[in-house]
Amino acid sequence: MLDSGPVDLDLQTSRQGEAGVLSLRGEIDVYTAPLLRQALLDLIGQGARDVVVDMGEVDFLDSTGLGVLVEGLKRVKTRGGEFSIVATQDKILKIFDITGLNKAFLLRGSVEDALGSSAPSSAPTAES
Amino acid sequence: MTEGGAVRAREAELEVEFPPKPEFVRMVRQAVSALARLHGADEDVVENVKLAVSEACNTAIAQNALGHEPLVIQAQGGANGLIVDVMETGPLRDHEVSGPPGEIDTDELPFDHALAVPIIRGLVDELTITPREGGGSVLRMRLSLGGEVSPS
Repeated sequence: MLDSGPVDLDLQTSRQGEAGVLSLRGEIDVYTAPLLRQALLDLIGQGARDVVVDMGEVDFLDSTGLGVLVEGLKRVKTRGGEFSIVATQDKILKIFDITGLNKAFLLRGSVEDALGSSAPSSAPTAES
Repeated sequence: MTEGGAVRAREAELEVEFPPKPEFVRMVRQAVSALARLHGADEDVVENVKLAVSEACNTAIAQNALGHEPLVIQAQGGANGLIVDVMETGPLRDHEVSGPPGEIDTDELPFDHALAVPIIRGLVDELTITPREGGGSVLRMRLSLGGEVSPS
């Protein structure tokens, strides 16, 4: 018998002007993707026009996580906003390349790049 | 310990039997990636193994969502690389994704399920999906344990 382990995804949200920033740490898979979906829905529902998903500390991403990100992208674009993903690790960027979704998302090297240099900062709030 | 999952060594070197539930996928990819490391796989390959195994498990779980039959993963390392078989018994698999990978029509599948097989194909050296006796299918993938991967 094996221990399947605890939920291994931490989410933090913050507002930077009109943008909502979702910072993730851990693994996004078929088990944890619903947490990501709910956090994105909450952020958008709270009025964020633009959304930045910081995946700088994400160790694993699969197609279920991609599916959630695509849903978020559609919702944000429908409202005239921008949906950016911050990712620098090859193991994360690879799945965007394989699926061709690197062309659909705005992939950035840092949150600052995604927001632009003039965005004001604010304290993060714990999501889970 | 979590009820339902089991890992044991058999002829296949590693066999994992687990319920078709999302909470077990992490454990499975960790077990198979540990085997890859034991066979000297570099970390890039280990990451490919983790993702390919997870995608195969996701697909199998989706096909067995209403069932209670356990999924079985067998893995074997050797001179030809790492061979991983994902065996499931779901009734819907045959007409959705069985057959030569290049001929699989993923247009009708949910978005993430439609991505799973193309992602696996992009990560492994060889991929075959064949009917399983008694229903369901066996997804077999082979990954070289080092050097360049030539997608099938």
